[in-house]
Amino acid sequence: MPNLAPFLISGLAVGAIYALSGVGLVVLYRTCGVLNFAYGAIGAVGALVAWQLVQLSMPVLLAGLAAIVVTTALSLLYGWVIAPRLAYRETVVRGVATLGFALLLLGMCDLLWRSNTPRQVRLPTDTLGFTLLGARVTGTRLTAFLLALAITIGVVVFLNRARLGVAMRALANDRDVSALLGISVLRVELWAWLISGIMAGVSGLLLASLVNLNAGTLTFLVIPAMATAILGRLRSLGATLAGGLCIGLAEALATPFATIAPYRSVAPFAIALLAILWQQQQPAFRLAKD
Amino acid sequence: MKHIGLGSIAMLLSFLLSACGGAAAPAAVPTTEPAAPTAAPAPTAASAAAPTAAPAPTAAPAAATQAPAPTALCGLGNGKAASGEPIVVGGIVGATGPDNWSSGAKSATAYFKCLNANGGINGRPVNYLVEDDKWNPEQAALVAAKLVKDDKVVAMVGNTSFVECGANRQLYEQEDLMVIAAVGVPRECFEQKNYVPTNAGPRVSTLGAAQYAFQKYGAKRQVCIATNVPNAGTWTCEGIEAWGKGAGVEVKSIYIDPGALDATSVVLEAAAWKPDAVLTSLPAGVATPIFKAAQDQDLREKFHWLGPTSIYDLKFPAAIGDYWDGYVDAQIELNATDSSGPDNTAWRKIMDTYGDPSDPRDTFSQAGYLAAKIFSQTLLKLDPAKIDRQSVTAALRQVKQYKSDLMCGEWYVSPGDRQNANHAGRMASIKGGKWVTVADCFETQDIDLKAIRELEAKEGLVSK
Repeated sequence: MPNLAPFLISGLAVGAIYALSGVGLVVLYRTCGVLNFAYGAIGAVGALVAWQLVQLSMPVLLAGLAAIVVTTALSLLYGWVIAPRLAYRETVVRGVATLGFALLLLGMCDLLWRSNTPRQVRLPTDTLGFTLLGARVTGTRLTAFLLALAITIGVVVFLNRARLGVAMRALANDRDVSALLGISVLRVELWAWLISGIMAGVSGLLLASLVNLNAGTLTFLVIPAMATAILGRLRSLGATLAGGLCIGLAEALATPFATIAPYRSVAPFAIALLAILWQQQQPAFRLAKD
Repeated sequence: MKHIGLGSIAMLLSFLLSACGGAAAPAAVPTTEPAAPTAAPAPTAASAAAPTAAPAPTAAPAAATQAPAPTALCGLGNGKAASGEPIVVGGIVGATGPDNWSSGAKSATAYFKCLNANGGINGRPVNYLVEDDKWNPEQAALVAAKLVKDDKVVAMVGNTSFVECGANRQLYEQEDLMVIAAVGVPRECFEQKNYVPTNAGPRVSTLGAAQYAFQKYGAKRQVCIATNVPNAGTWTCEGIEAWGKGAGVEVKSIYIDPGALDATSVVLEAAAWKPDAVLTSLPAGVATPIFKAAQDQDLREKFHWLGPTSIYDLKFPAAIGDYWDGYVDAQIELNATDSSGPDNTAWRKIMDTYGDPSDPRDTFSQAGYLAAKIFSQTLLKLDPAKIDRQSVTAALRQVKQYKSDLMCGEWYVSPGDRQNANHAGRMASIKGGKWVTVADCFETQDIDLKAIRELEAKEGLVSK
């Protein structure tokens, strides 16, 4: 039996970013009913902008902040220009529209930053760290994990306590009734796009540092993130956090087993599928659906 | 709130995958040759830059051809623009897709511009048509049919593609058309009669790095990290494993999905095996996160880090950072891009004069220059009035004992079904933020090359 402890450390950090991304998707879906397939591509643009600014001698912290401003702007742009025009279309149509936006951004990235050119983002937290269970835990990994926990708790509190959070939940339940009650629909939705954009920027930067600064790879971050959101039934942020960590761990812990290692990337789909099948067997979930 | 259908999510995800996914790779072909004991790398002297091609069957009458000027940068070197009937030549590259592999065709374009401005092929200019296969086998077949059947090219030059070798093999053999490719990567590019790359390929190059690790560092336990693409990554590491059995080197192969998100797990898996050396047989862009993850785990001194030519990217040292200075070695299939030999000097001058400033000055570019030069020099020996596909194919099949300072050994077109004339290389290390050549030419000991070496000796393809 191989020593799994180092892989545990590795999986928790990546899983935390999946969770962070999943929470970003769920917040937007709960507010606007949009499943944002462009989440990963927006994060990719941010990470590449940060890399470019560092190449132009900007301090990495400033470059990171600029990247988050760019991802927030992109998210807001979509939420302001396109999303309201599709507000009354089916959920699938709204999802496909974001897919188009994702492909547009991916093409733009390929045009501006030639793919497969060697590049990486190094964060100041990369140099900090300690050894635990045979693996080195860098400051970036620790930050990713703590940030996922903090943001999930923060968003839960925000949605339940803050006036804007309550408005977001009201909007999620019924857009028209919320408007009649005096809630500014566009303003509340834009807040959701803003939060999602910030989280896409943070996820993109962390993943670019921990994994790979490549537009294609980061765009496909949306797949495990989507699986994570499905584990949370696109509603529960706590379950989304747990789901993200589970997927990250499953991917990493499969590494030392030669027979299953080549299929590690199937983990998000497999876990999401099993969770859906399990949920279908549970009376509580069936009643909730009815 | 309405619930979204899970089927709809699955449909959208599958659309995203199909819209952005890479090309499907062809099935693996098993290696059939038995393992043989391998010898230590044998140094071979770098050849002088005096290209010689054997006489072609349709050698031109003396009146039709002219001798190149002794100091010619390209072609006849007479400074006169060619104005005769154009000779149509094709080229297929994977420019759009996971990576841009058009560098070889760009340098070939620059070479042909130089040639056309200097007398062309005995007065006839080359009309070089380059197509992009978009890393798609169907597109590769489509553009090849256009070039071969509609444009009626006499040959292909400077090809660099991941999918084209397999997709167009039948067409090239049916039409008896030769491809003097710049760079071949998957196995199919080296195992056919009509497709002849100037480079050594990832398997031979990675093996060169493995041999160097064994010789220089005494590395008896080596990890080979490659992509899980059949006939590319798996073909490469299988070659290292086969060599290791003969050389007494234990080899562990780790195959990764190029799009996988978790480089740290890959590095930890390699480290858990406690190797003496790690071979990263990956494109530079995919290798970068591996080195980043290894840096995070502070592994540079735990074992030696090496790779094939694919990491010999001029941007790679800066991309992986100062931490790795003095700790990474790469086997290089062609000579260093800053070497001072006549061909490398000519390549740089042609790129500066006839290329675009934005054209890369990399190994792929050197390979494209070499392919265009070999092709042009071969055609210069033909009667310009009788140049057609048949005469060009016959002449190219006769190329042997071709010397260039860009290659360690002599290059040739084999009469057999396999083309791997380039099977020796040098080593470079990252020092002071750039690649520095640290070992001169040595032969690689791939057991798959045994039949090739026997044919070389039997047919006189290289000098004795």
